[in-house]
Amino acid sequence: MAEADPLDGRHARFELKTLLDTSRMLIESTDLDFVLNNLLLISMGKLFAPKAAILLRDPTDRKFRVAKNKGRTPFHEGQELPLPDPSTYGDTVYLDASHSEFPELLAGNGLPHLFQLRTRAQHMGFLVIGDKASKQPYSDREIEFLENLVNISAVAISNSLLVRELRQTNLQLDRKVQELHTLFDLSKEFNATVDRDPMLRVFKFALLGQMFIRSFLFVKKRRAEAPECLVHNGLKQLPDEAGMTYLLDLPDGHHHVGDRLRQESDLLAENGLQAVVTLSLQDERAILAVGPRATGDPYSESDFNFLSSLGNLALLSVQKTDLLRERIEKERIEEELSIARTIQERLLPNPLPKDDRLDLAAMNVSSRQVGGDYYDAVRRGDELYLAIADVTGKGIPASLLMANLQAMLHILTPLERGICEITGKINDVIYKNTPSDKFISFFWARFDSATGVFEYVNAGHNPPFLLRAGEDPIPLAEGGMLLGAMPTFVPYSSGTLHLGPGDLIALYTDGVSEAMDPADEEYGEERLLDVLMKNRVLSAADILNAVVEDVRRFTHDKYSDDITLLVIKHR
Amino acid sequence: MSQFLIRSRNSGDLDILEIDGELDAHTATQLEDAFKALIGRNRTRIVVNCAELQYISSAGLGVFMAYIEDVRGTGGDIKLSNLSPKVYNVFDLLGFPALYDILDDETEAVAKFSS
Repeated sequence: MAEADPLDGRHARFELKTLLDTSRMLIESTDLDFVLNNLLLISMGKLFAPKAAILLRDPTDRKFRVAKNKGRTPFHEGQELPLPDPSTYGDTVYLDASHSEFPELLAGNGLPHLFQLRTRAQHMGFLVIGDKASKQPYSDREIEFLENLVNISAVAISNSLLVRELRQTNLQLDRKVQELHTLFDLSKEFNATVDRDPMLRVFKFALLGQMFIRSFLFVKKRRAEAPECLVHNGLKQLPDEAGMTYLLDLPDGHHHVGDRLRQESDLLAENGLQAVVTLSLQDERAILAVGPRATGDPYSESDFNFLSSLGNLALLSVQKTDLLRERIEKERIEEELSIARTIQERLLPNPLPKDDRLDLAAMNVSSRQVGGDYYDAVRRGDELYLAIADVTGKGIPASLLMANLQAMLHILTPLERGICEITGKINDVIYKNTPSDKFISFFWARFDSATGVFEYVNAGHNPPFLLRAGEDPIPLAEGGMLLGAMPTFVPYSSGTLHLGPGDLIALYTDGVSEAMDPADEEYGEERLLDVLMKNRVLSAADILNAVVEDVRRFTHDKYSDDITLLVIKHR
Repeated sequence: MSQFLIRSRNSGDLDILEIDGELDAHTATQLEDAFKALIGRNRTRIVVNCAELQYISSAGLGVFMAYIEDVRGTGGDIKLSNLSPKVYNVFDLLGFPALYDILDDETEAVAKFSS
C-alpha cells in the first residue's frame, strides 16, 4: 500500500474547509439565488468543469425547470425539462447509453453527470455538471466531494424554498387583508350614499387600484330589460347591446379570455379584456370584465373571488339605489293620485240639491284612487239636471275625461237650447278630445220642478229604470250614440215623462249590474229590479242602501269595478 | 368621517400636490378632482408628496391608475414621494412600484422629471 501523499492531505484539508465554509454560509442564507449560485460556482471551480446547471422540481406542477445555469449550456433559465421521477435513482446518475429516459439534451451537450438534490423528506431536483475541461474522468474523491457539497446545498435549498414559500404565503395573506379592507371600505361608502354615480365612481377606483388595471367593463341586466353598462374605464370600443348580451349569456363562473372568446366577442377582443366574472342577484345578472394587470400577472383563483365579491357588493348597492328611486317615484305618484282623488270627489255634488218633489240619493265607489264614473245633480232655478256617466277604462285617463264632461255640464246648464241639440254638441267636443278607443256612456235629464216634466237623453248608457205602482219597469232608452265614438251625424232624440208621486228612477253604471259573485256570475238587472221593487216605498236613501247592501252580499264584499248609483224618488 | 385635504403649489413647470390624511373610498374623489383640474389645464407634470398621508385604500390607489395614461399621453407623469413605510407597503403589495416612480423625497422626484 502506498504511503499517504502529503499533497493528498492538503487537498483533503482544503476540501474539508471548503465544505465547512460553504455549509456555514449556506445555513445562514435563505436566498435561493445565492445558494444556487454558490453551488454552481464551487462545483465548477473545484472540478474544473466549464458548464453546469441546476434543475429544480416545481412543488406545484411537479415539473422540472432550469433554475440556474452557467457556462455554455443549451438551456435558458425557466426552461422545462421532462425528467423521470428522481426517487428511483441513487445519489448520482451518469448518463451513458443505458439512460435513454433522460433527455438527449443533457448527455448530448456534454452534461452527463447528475447529482440528486434531496433531503430525507423530498427530492428537489438535480445538479447537472459537464465533463472536466481536460476531458479527464472525475476521480472518486471528486465525486465524493461533490456529493457532500450537494447534500449540504440541498438542505439550504430546501430551507430557502420554504422561506420563499412562507414569504409568498405572507404576501398572499397581506393581499387578502388588503382586499378585505377594500370590501369593507366600499360597503361603508355604499351604505352612506343613495346616489348611483358617486357609488360607481368609488367602485371604479377600488377596482383599478386593487387589481392594478386600467380597463374594465361592468354590465347588468334585469329580467327582460335591455342590458345596461353601469360603469367602465379605459375602453377603446364602447359596448353595444349585442356585445353586452353575449357577455351576459356566458355560463356562470369565471372565464379567462382565450382565443375562442376573443373570436366570439369583439368587445373583449378590441378592448383587450382578459377575464370575465359572471354575477347573479335575484332577478339581475351582471358581468365584470377586466383588462390586463399592470404587473402582467395572470388572474388567479383568488383574484376571481375578489372580483366576484366586489362585483356582487356593487350590484347589490346599485339594486338598492334603484329600488329606493322606484319607491320615491311610486310615493310621488301615490301622493299625486291622492290629490287627484280629492279633486275628483269635489267634482261630484255634495250635498245633493234639495227639491220639493224629488228625493235624491247617490253613491260612488272607485276601485282605484281615481275613476271614470260620474253622476251629477245641478239645480238651475226651477230646473234640476240629473246625470250619470261611465268612461271606458279606469284610472287617470278615465278621470280626466270625467272632469271634462263635468265641466261642460256645469257650463252648459241651464240649457239655452234643446237637450238633444246640446247632447250633440257635447258629443262633438268629447269626440275631438278623446282617442278613438275612449267613449263615455251618458244619461242625463232635465226635470222641471214646477211642472213635473222629466226630459232625458240616453247616449249609450245602460237604461235606467222607471218604476211605477202597478206597472212593469220602464227602461229609459231614448237617445243615441255613446259620446266620443263619432261626430254627431244623427241628432240625439229625447224621451219625455211626467213624474208623479211614488215614481222611482234608478240610474246606475255597469259596475252594479256586472258585479260578480265568487263563482263569476253577474249580479244582473233582474236582481237589481228585484231589490228596487221590494224597497220602492222607502226613501231614496234607504232604497240606495238596500241596493248597495244586496250587491255587497252578492259579491261577498269583493266588487272590483267602479260602482255608481243615483236614486230619484218622487215624494 | 375620514379627514383628507390637498394642498397644491407650483415648482417651475411642475405641480406639487401635498396630500394629507386618509385617502379612501370616501375621499378618493377629491384627489380625482385635483387630477382632473390639472389635466384640464394641461398641467401634467405632477409630484404627489405623501409626507402627511396616513392611510391609503385601494380606491385611493385606483385614482392614480385612472389618470396615469391621460397624464403620460401628454408627455407628463405622476411621481410619488415621501411615502411612510405603512403607505408604501400598500403600494408595494399591489405592484405599483413597477409602474410608478416612487421616490424618497420631493426634491428627488422633481429632479427625476428633468433627467
